[in-house]
Amino acid sequence: MPPRIQSRSVSNTLLPYLTAPSSSSSSLSSLPSLSSTSSQCLSRQFSATAAPQGQTKLRRQMFEWLNNEGSVFKHHVPGETNYLTRLKQRGPESSEKSRPFPNNQNFFSEPILSEELRNEVYNRVVEQQKSVRIVSVELGIDMKRIAAVVRLVELEKRQRTQGKPLALPYARAIHEMVPTTPLAEKGERQTYHEPINDLPAHPLTGSQIFYPVPESRSFNRVEAGRVFSGAPAMEHSEAAEISHPSDLAEKILEDPNSIGWVGKGANARQILQPADVRIPHPHMVALERDRLAHPNERLAVADLQSKRLERQDAIEQARRERIQARREKKLTVVSPEDSRFDYRIKDTIYTKETTGADGRGSKAAGRRYGVPHRDRTRGEVKIPTRVEA
Amino acid sequence: MRNRASNTLSKGKIRQSWSKYNLYNLQRFRSPPTANRTFFQQKWSAKAASRAYHGEQVREGQWKRMFNHRIRSVIPMNAADLAADDGTLVSSGRGSGLDKDGKSAHQTRPTPYSHMTFAPLERRLDVAIFRALFASSARQARQFVIHGAVTVNGQKMKHPSYLLNPGDLFQVDPDRVLYATGHTKTPFERREGRLARRKAKSQSSQDAEEAAAAPEVEAESKETVKQDIKGTPKEDTKETLKALLAQAKSVMSAGKDTLAPQRKQELRGFQQAVRRVLSRSESSTILADSLEAQFSQLTLLLKAKRGEKPAKKDVKPRPEDAFASDNGDTEAASAKRDTETAASDKLSEAFAQATLGNDVDASELTDEEFDTLQRALTQMRDNPLDNSKTYSTPWQPRQYMSAFAFIPRYLEVNQNICAAVYLRHPVARPGSAEVPTPFGESIATPAYGWYLRRRW
Repeated sequence: MPPRIQSRSVSNTLLPYLTAPSSSSSSLSSLPSLSSTSSQCLSRQFSATAAPQGQTKLRRQMFEWLNNEGSVFKHHVPGETNYLTRLKQRGPESSEKSRPFPNNQNFFSEPILSEELRNEVYNRVVEQQKSVRIVSVELGIDMKRIAAVVRLVELEKRQRTQGKPLALPYARAIHEMVPTTPLAEKGERQTYHEPINDLPAHPLTGSQIFYPVPESRSFNRVEAGRVFSGAPAMEHSEAAEISHPSDLAEKILEDPNSIGWVGKGANARQILQPADVRIPHPHMVALERDRLAHPNERLAVADLQSKRLERQDAIEQARRERIQARREKKLTVVSPEDSRFDYRIKDTIYTKETTGADGRGSKAAGRRYGVPHRDRTRGEVKIPTRVEA
Repeated sequence: MRNRASNTLSKGKIRQSWSKYNLYNLQRFRSPPTANRTFFQQKWSAKAASRAYHGEQVREGQWKRMFNHRIRSVIPMNAADLAADDGTLVSSGRGSGLDKDGKSAHQTRPTPYSHMTFAPLERRLDVAIFRALFASSARQARQFVIHGAVTVNGQKMKHPSYLLNPGDLFQVDPDRVLYATGHTKTPFERREGRLARRKAKSQSSQDAEEAAAAPEVEAESKETVKQDIKGTPKEDTKETLKALLAQAKSVMSAGKDTLAPQRKQELRGFQQAVRRVLSRSESSTILADSLEAQFSQLTLLLKAKRGEKPAKKDVKPRPEDAFASDNGDTEAASAKRDTETAASDKLSEAFAQATLGNDVDASELTDEEFDTLQRALTQMRDNPLDNSKTYSTPWQPRQYMSAFAFIPRYLEVNQNICAAVYLRHPVARPGSAEVPTPFGESIATPAYGWYLRRRW
């Protein structure tokens, strides 16, 4: 890197000495008039080329770009994205989703929920008491996002009542810069915000398996799942019961233990289920099947679907309550009156599996002589790994 | 940790930052050449370029421990397709489906797995804050965490390397966010703020003295103030309203070319006008009340005015296009001067017509005028002029911010309270990857290959 000596500062500090022989006066009053001539003298002393005017070539190029092509990025236009890719487009057509990075063809700036849509979600879930699943299908928003929106709007309401500071101008600016999904006008169809039936790719499906099947036999998703997880083929009678893989969804919802297991001991794992079971909204497949079966009976199909959803909700609710009750049964909470703390007491099971052969296993409860505390052992994450909500 | 993440032009590295240097570097970045270079060299330079962007604040060893060769991906399923076929169509024939006119039945775009190499880093708290657009760089986000301005699930979290779990809610102090994303103060504004602080300090010390000395004086002074308000000659309400409207108009129409001091004068003038109108209302306490109360009182006054002569509303020309977009926004918090230039130009035109064309009786307001006034007032309330803040007021987004403004799908952000929820881990899907990375396939894949090697 060349030395970073600013020519002007040098000329100012050295001025009286440098200019003394050429000009008779070196008083302070004459300094401003002399500075220009002296800097020329300086640059001439060391090289024949003109000294850079306080800017490198790269800096000059940068500011040139920023002042010409790049000046469009300085301020945004409300309701439009303003990404670097607009320089290359050179056309009004922007039907494609906008890409913020010119080199990355696979990253898109996805729309966010508009303020009205967000409030609508809150309204439907909290005030109209609709289930998250139904709202998700109605508005085309992922169920996790709906839960998050309800939480955030709730928090916002609380902060507004408490009079805490809000970042309103900032929020408005962001909603102008980023694409948003608007709430549909009355009578219009709501545009879907995101795909809601995403099937997570299971690691077992990563491998390529050569599995010969007679051409005369039909091979469906249920059987493919069994092959991927290494389970033996189903009995013919068992296979005949399943007319479509989505039949399994309801069956598993009613009885989660109906999923079979493969392997023994620590290697035991559940048999991979077909996509119809593993997607977030299996009931949508059932609805489509009803539609295919009864193409001309829209009302009857809708009725069937609402009944199905009610039934499934009831089952899920019952299971949740059962789990909660079981947990409470195991746990004794003691809260002394004049104490800041609650004590949760669980029965400890003393077996070889829980406390180890010598009773000093690393997962065992309580302090154990000679075993370092968890946060002292090597390779352990020392900062919190989770924060309870 | 020393900050080596400078945006040098000579190196031309891309950083997680909104600076204009970074924008320039991003714009001129070209993938390193592969011709005449060994595979090791290609991987090395790909790794160097991508690590300068992804978690440069994380030590290499730390990152290598986080790296996972397994990449999360999802396939969006269509319920109608699933219902129509139980999988036998895909596996029919010789196992890969029967061809239709030589094309296979199912064609999908490739999933860009290697773009997801740095997905584990997106779990970090500092990176997530940057991705939620709460900080102008990952380094700044890190500083916010260390300085205690960030909570996770309502508890203060001091560790920038905290790995968010799906469902975690993180929140940043709104003042910090406004500082990070707003314009910096000019020297003039800084001086004003300094003076205001000094004044407040001396006043508070005086108040303390006075409070100790004489509590009786206060009561007297209050009375005199009341008398003053009553004693002011009752101007024509129409006149004041007219003036108020003119002020509102100028406040709303100020473009970005307007000089800052001039704009501030306008704002102050508007505030004074509002105060004058309010002082004539029945309750004398309204002036001391919060801006909210003032606003409601003013609206009440104006509504009464508007209700008087509803018949004359349509006399004035009403530019529909100017308000088609604006009507929805009146409730939405504030109006900023940059962003509203286009709308406010039309607005001022409409005003020129409305006020000059007809001999206006100001006591009767058109819808437009009412809207303008309301917007000017909301702006005054939500985005006030306050030199005690660390950023330039009224708040406006910093320059070159829009080129970096996007919010990835795995976050759900509420900008009003500067809080966001980490919904799930980022995933790849056919045709797109959720990890925001400025690099193309020619860098992502060699970088992924570099970390596949186990050298420890």
